[in-house]
Amino acid sequence: MDQKTMSETKIETTVHGMMAEFTTVDSLLSACRRVRDAGYTKTDAYTPFPVHGIDKALGIKPTALPWICLIAGATGTCIALAMQIWMNSIDYKYIISGKPYLSLPAFIPVAFELTILLASFGAFFGMWALNGLPKFSNPMFTDPRFDRATDDRFFLYVDASDERYDAAGVRSLMADTGSDYINEVVEDDSPKEVPKPVFLIWGLAVAASLVPLICILTMRVTNSSRPRFHIFFDMDFSPAKDAQQVTSLFADNRAMRSDVPGTVARGQMEESLDMLSGIDVEALTLSDPPRVERLVRAYMQADDEAKAEEQETLEKEAEEAAEVTEAAPASVMDTTPWVENNPLTVDAELLAIGQQQFAIYCSVCHGMDGYGNGLVNQRAQSISAPTWVPPASMHQETLYADKYPDGKLFSTISNGIRKMPGYAGQIKLKDRWAIVAYVRALQKSQNASLDLVPDAKKAAVEKAVEEAKAELKRQAEEAEKAAAARQQAQQ
Amino acid sequence: MSEHAAPAVKPADDPAFQLPASLRSLQMPLLGGGLVALLIGMGLAFSVSDADMPRFGMSAYLTAFLYVLTIVLGCLFFVLIQHLVRAGWSVVVRRVAECMMIMTIPMAFLFLPILFSVFSEGTLFVWTDSEYASKLHLDENMWETKKLFLNGPFFLVRALIYFGIWGALAVYYWRGSVNQDETGERAATDRMQYWSGPAVMAFSLSLSFAAFDWGMSLAPMWFSTMFGVYMFAGGILAAHCAITLLTYVLQRAGALKEEVTPEHYHDLGKYIFGFIVFWTYISFSQYMLIWYGNIPEETEWFFSRQEGGFGYLSIGLIFFHWLLPFFGTMSRHVRRRPGVMAFWAAYILVVHFIDIYWIVMPEARMVEQHTVPSFGGGLGILASLLCVIGMTALVVGLVLRVAGGNRIVPVRDPRLRESIIFENI
Repeated sequence: MDQKTMSETKIETTVHGMMAEFTTVDSLLSACRRVRDAGYTKTDAYTPFPVHGIDKALGIKPTALPWICLIAGATGTCIALAMQIWMNSIDYKYIISGKPYLSLPAFIPVAFELTILLASFGAFFGMWALNGLPKFSNPMFTDPRFDRATDDRFFLYVDASDERYDAAGVRSLMADTGSDYINEVVEDDSPKEVPKPVFLIWGLAVAASLVPLICILTMRVTNSSRPRFHIFFDMDFSPAKDAQQVTSLFADNRAMRSDVPGTVARGQMEESLDMLSGIDVEALTLSDPPRVERLVRAYMQADDEAKAEEQETLEKEAEEAAEVTEAAPASVMDTTPWVENNPLTVDAELLAIGQQQFAIYCSVCHGMDGYGNGLVNQRAQSISAPTWVPPASMHQETLYADKYPDGKLFSTISNGIRKMPGYAGQIKLKDRWAIVAYVRALQKSQNASLDLVPDAKKAAVEKAVEEAKAELKRQAEEAEKAAAARQQAQQ
Repeated sequence: MSEHAAPAVKPADDPAFQLPASLRSLQMPLLGGGLVALLIGMGLAFSVSDADMPRFGMSAYLTAFLYVLTIVLGCLFFVLIQHLVRAGWSVVVRRVAECMMIMTIPMAFLFLPILFSVFSEGTLFVWTDSEYASKLHLDENMWETKKLFLNGPFFLVRALIYFGIWGALAVYYWRGSVNQDETGERAATDRMQYWSGPAVMAFSLSLSFAAFDWGMSLAPMWFSTMFGVYMFAGGILAAHCAITLLTYVLQRAGALKEEVTPEHYHDLGKYIFGFIVFWTYISFSQYMLIWYGNIPEETEWFFSRQEGGFGYLSIGLIFFHWLLPFFGTMSRHVRRRPGVMAFWAAYILVVHFIDIYWIVMPEARMVEQHTVPSFGGGLGILASLLCVIGMTALVVGLVLRVAGGNRIVPVRDPRLRESIIFENI
């Protein structure tokens, strides 16, 4: 190429601006001031080290970065608080060390961290955005003299896109500032095309990065007899023993440990000894202290020996009472001070539970109506079982609340009487008391008069009674007719 | 290298480096007035101390003492840290801090009443009461172990060590700086820098243990390893405020007109802002760990600060010690205005007193546990205020006296010019 073509090529390339080189900071600063005063705004200065006051000299406006930082930080606070309130107080309520769901002190560290994180992001990426980064090349680099900007030279640059830009004018202005070297900044003529191998490598990297994802996906959707590949172990391999496993850790080789005698588990204290035994313990303390001691041992410390002894006492008492009833009715009373009233609040809900439990456990012998003619009894009668003692009717007067206190009834359900076994193992404590309540209701129902019905419902009840009577009458007539018809047929 | 022409460094005996006459004339009134206010305050405080609040009088004194001491020690730390990092910007305000730092010597004398109270049972620290453990039914073995640390003679020894360290550091750095005014030797700066590392370590440990001794042992059953840092955080914050305020006062009185620029206020403002956050961070850390752990003997300290009027004070600290000054000093435009910065500095100095009051005074009440802490009525509040105003005035009077006898800028410090022309980027 000859000289002419070279210069022509140069003219065709895009001009980005004008740069001037300075050897001292002071000359740079005064040049900056002159350029600023001449009204140029799209300017920049390049120095090997920070120069105080250069932003003022160039007339650079204060940055908006602090505001970006503040807004990003405030966003972080809001996100953190909203996230924690949502997660811990609304979506998945979870009590952590007894604190309320929405406890601000616990939320502050995360809010603090996220504020800082987002503020840093705001500062970092905001700075990038404001500086127009990332930028792989700057047209300033086309001039080899610019390399000394990181060493011992100072550069001033005026951008061609500035409104006032005029190549000759800027050149003469810069010449006035005493710069030794002024040059036009032109387009970087290095090839803009990205080399092909870069795409290849990029494509391969993307493909390789998909492999783990595909592996995970495959494992999630396909069936396999092999154990799952664990990336996160979570709690899949807990060293804790299962309930019935064997262990060498304890002498009895049981992994499952029973309560230490005397342990009071959470919630257990709600149940008083009165409620557990059906005995008024305070009154018993006055009459029979050793028995109280035994009761405490039996119930509170799960002492089997004490339990057996207590059982014996109850059986003996029951026998004595039975004998006494036969020999001389009501002459000797049961000496145990039973709890008189149901310790639970008796309401419709409790009675419903009682009814359900009675139907499940008691009605098989005692009958749904409590008259003692349940299915088991009917069967025993039909096969004339020799050792069978017929179950008691709930509706005999000796079992009414004034002769047979609630506590005693409870104790009978729990510990059994005569042929009836104790049901403490099958029926939960509160359900046993519910049955007691239901039995009382059942007893009352058999002695009910119309006066007990509230006025508002009286009419309905009377009507129902009438209907029932009519129905019974009709059934009786039908039966009569049927019998007569049968007789006729026989004759 | 600056936008404006660099000012020439004035000669060492320029009037700009002398304490202005208007402030010089305040010395005696401050000293006398301070002493009188302190004595009246103490008298009032002891009159409030009856059978219900036997410790009120000495507690009011301790509050005032700790308030001034934390600021003085903050200034000592400020000086040490400037040498440690070889800071150039701070030289023009360093002498102000040095004048306050040397007050560790008078503070040692002001400590004597507290020392005396340790040897007369139960007048300030409950652990000096020989029946304390039996009154609260404390475990004998545990209390015996605690008494290995909390006993009069060892307390005295420790106090001597603390004041020994602080006094030695203050005198060493004061002498180094003041002597340099005359000799101008560069080696003095090098020596001070050389010793600043060990000095900061000795300072930090002694401050932390002093905080345990004089602040935390008021409630001997409570403990927090964060407490020393907490006291330091409040102190260093208040120290920066005191430096800002005093510098501003000096400028208003006519000194340092050209030397201290908005750039220096800007930097002090950054520190104030930073240490507001630091104080909040430390106090919250201390609170949250105890709140989360929820162990009775630890939560008891915060619990007693949530009862009665102290509950409002606790909430107030969040707003007035953190939220308000945090947003108040956040902006660069605020920090570059000396007048506004002086206002915030004065404001935080007041709040710092409330902080110290909040630490000390709730413990003044307890003979038995579970009595609600009180302010001691209007008279009690007046007494507490008189005590702190008196002691502050007394020490400020001494600071002015010291400043009057010396220059208020280290005039031959090798970095003085760098400091004068300093600019924030």
